[in-house]
Amino acid sequence: MTYFRKRFSIISAIFEALIKPPETVDYPKGALMLPEGFRGALLFDTDQCIGCGLCVRNCPADALHMEKKSRDEYKLIHYPARCAYCGQCEDNCRHGAIYHSNQLVKPTDNPAGLIVVLKEKKEA
Amino acid sequence: MSKISIPIGPQHPLLKEPLSMKIDISGEKVLGGSLRLGYVHRGIERLAQKRNYVQTIHLVERVCGICSHIHTTTFCQAVESLLKLEVPPRAQYLRALMCELERIHSHLLWLGILAKHVGLDTIFMHTWHDRELALDVMEEITGGRVLHGANQIGGVRFDLDESHFPMIHANLEKLRSQILGLLDILENEPALIARTKGVAPVSQKTIRQYGVVGPVARASGVDVDMRRDNPLPPYDQLKFSVVTMPDGDAWARTIVRAEEIRESLNLCEMILEDLPDGEVSKRAPRNVPEGEVIIRSEAPRGELFYYLRSDGTDQPARLKIRTPTLAALCLLPVQMSDIQVADIPVVLAGVDLCVACADR
Amino acid sequence: MFEALFYLLIFPGGFFLVLVGLGFEWLDRKLLALFQRRVGPPWYQPLADLIKLFSKEDLLPKGGNELVATLLPLLSLCAVLVAGLYVPIAGFTPYSFEGDLIVILFLMSVPTLAYYLAGIISIGIYSILGGGRSLLQYFSYEVPFLIALSGPAVLARSWSIEGILTAQFTLGSFVLFQPLGFILALVGLIGKLKRDPLDIPSAKSEVVGGSLTEFSGGKLGFWHLAMNIQAVVGIFLIINLFLGWTKLANPFVAILVFFLEFLVIVGMLSSASAIFARLRIDQLAGLGWRILVPLSLAQILFVILMGV
Repeated sequence: MTYFRKRFSIISAIFEALIKPPETVDYPKGALMLPEGFRGALLFDTDQCIGCGLCVRNCPADALHMEKKSRDEYKLIHYPARCAYCGQCEDNCRHGAIYHSNQLVKPTDNPAGLIVVLKEKKEA
Repeated sequence: MSKISIPIGPQHPLLKEPLSMKIDISGEKVLGGSLRLGYVHRGIERLAQKRNYVQTIHLVERVCGICSHIHTTTFCQAVESLLKLEVPPRAQYLRALMCELERIHSHLLWLGILAKHVGLDTIFMHTWHDRELALDVMEEITGGRVLHGANQIGGVRFDLDESHFPMIHANLEKLRSQILGLLDILENEPALIARTKGVAPVSQKTIRQYGVVGPVARASGVDVDMRRDNPLPPYDQLKFSVVTMPDGDAWARTIVRAEEIRESLNLCEMILEDLPDGEVSKRAPRNVPEGEVIIRSEAPRGELFYYLRSDGTDQPARLKIRTPTLAALCLLPVQMSDIQVADIPVVLAGVDLCVACADR
Repeated sequence: MFEALFYLLIFPGGFFLVLVGLGFEWLDRKLLALFQRRVGPPWYQPLADLIKLFSKEDLLPKGGNELVATLLPLLSLCAVLVAGLYVPIAGFTPYSFEGDLIVILFLMSVPTLAYYLAGIISIGIYSILGGGRSLLQYFSYEVPFLIALSGPAVLARSWSIEGILTAQFTLGSFVLFQPLGFILALVGLIGKLKRDPLDIPSAKSEVVGGSLTEFSGGKLGFWHLAMNIQAVVGIFLIINLFLGWTKLANPFVAILVFFLEFLVIVGMLSSASAIFARLRIDQLAGLGWRILVPLSLAQILFVILMGV
């Protein structure tokens, strides 16, 4: 009996699959479940940023760039197409200004979307 | 019949990564083959010399698309041993947990690809569904499905809390029952056995000549496993057995990998049970003192070798990576004789191709 | 005149067969997806694929013969369409004559030969391999397939399908007398259609696309259509030869029963491709000549003894 059960295990596997719901998602109509800690699109909190540049220093993909003239005059730029979503900038930031959300980044056909100015501070 | 030579690759439905083989055939018989590598050489070793240690972690994670975690773990261990930094035990256990999950997902992926190559698409789909369970656990705890970004110098970047355990245990339990069913199928499916048993067996002597490691070597009866032979913590405190088979053919490799998944599942549960409390990371300085170090660890495909030399700055002076797949790929031309055209996919799948690893 | 055109173009020929062919492809793919725990394609996917193929650029590699490459898919499509005209559908057949079974079997072999030619005239190395393999496979499955299909004819003492159907109405369904022949016919059909698990001539991981590697655009669309219609005609043939039940007075019930039998056979074909791994060509030849041929001979011997 065990012999037969083992011999026909693939047949029982495919007929069990008939009654089970499919495991794939009907993309893009189906719902995509992402866990809470998923490293998705990069978010930025302008008020928290003090322009220290720590996020730029360790960015492995050169996706962050800072043009800094002085403490009060700097420009922080993000290049989403280069970003590796590694989370290093989030780890480095001491003020919680830059962090990942758990949302996927939608593809874009807008060339202007390839350069995102996160913060531009000018001398008052 | 006259001799003709067929090209396999660099683009071929059989290959997921570029690799070129020229195979001489006569009718359905394979006479011999030659191998060409280097299509995905990205110069990672040189690139590492231009980046600081934190950036290099994310760089070496991209050496391989499947076993990304073991690369960062080995690199971090190398840097930590230069820094003489004691990693908290909880971080060591969490690293090992990720390594074992990665082994499970890598081996399941391989089983699926073998089944796909012999035309058994059902097993391919079912194993990849099961693999999704392991990937879900990794995604849940680290935030990345394949590129986990789990390691940093001095520890790990994630921590498990009580809310994670039910999900992990449920998935591991489900995976265990699925693996039992899969083993039933693999051991008893006559067509699969007919296609894989006795196909291009490799002797223990050849394995030693070519320096092949990992499941391919273990399937030929070479008892080698870095987790046991050269244990880095926490593997010196964990109990597991090394699976070997004497045959050396594609069938033996299948069984070795399937049994290793079971061992890894046991290890995962052992790690979760023994998980020590405490911090998960220690702060590491940016500059690494002068010195050089060699670290060897067991990737899903075999022994992984890292050589790191530091000159006291925040950038590595030299990083050398030797991946297990390169030796296994060199085995391919040896196996390409006395087989049939229909066996080429089985032989190619048997060595567990990872061209990105081999080329770096 | 109009009647003949209707039979030829609408039902049971032309349009109807194309429709059922596309429906068969969808059903097969959907069932396979369900067996493999996937979502599967929507119902219009085969039609969409066909439209896409016809709207694509048609490329032929240098050295290929445009005329032959165009003729071969059209020839196989015509052959299976004509074969479909003679296979009774739910007991309805416009043209029936003594010996139409042999004509259908001949016409069903045309796509295989065209497939072989398509491979061998091509300059691509994979096409030549696939063409050679298709002929090797043909010699392995065709003999047991033909012997299995001649079983019902011998039992009914008639070479017309209608005659075989009529004999089943009195004697009972032939699957009860020759279940072995039914299984062998299904195996032969799988081999004829080059379906998984006997997709040796077109195995993707071994010979890329087989004979059809160098085909593209509309020609490839015709090939796919021909294969689907060949599958439908083959299934209709097996239903008629083995699964004829009592004569049903109500045509709707007859159509329903026919449709259900069609579904059952499609389910068997799909589950076969989900269960079995692809065989090697030497293993297939061994299976064909060592196992299937003796079995089919035993079956036909049993049928002859039963007739006496």
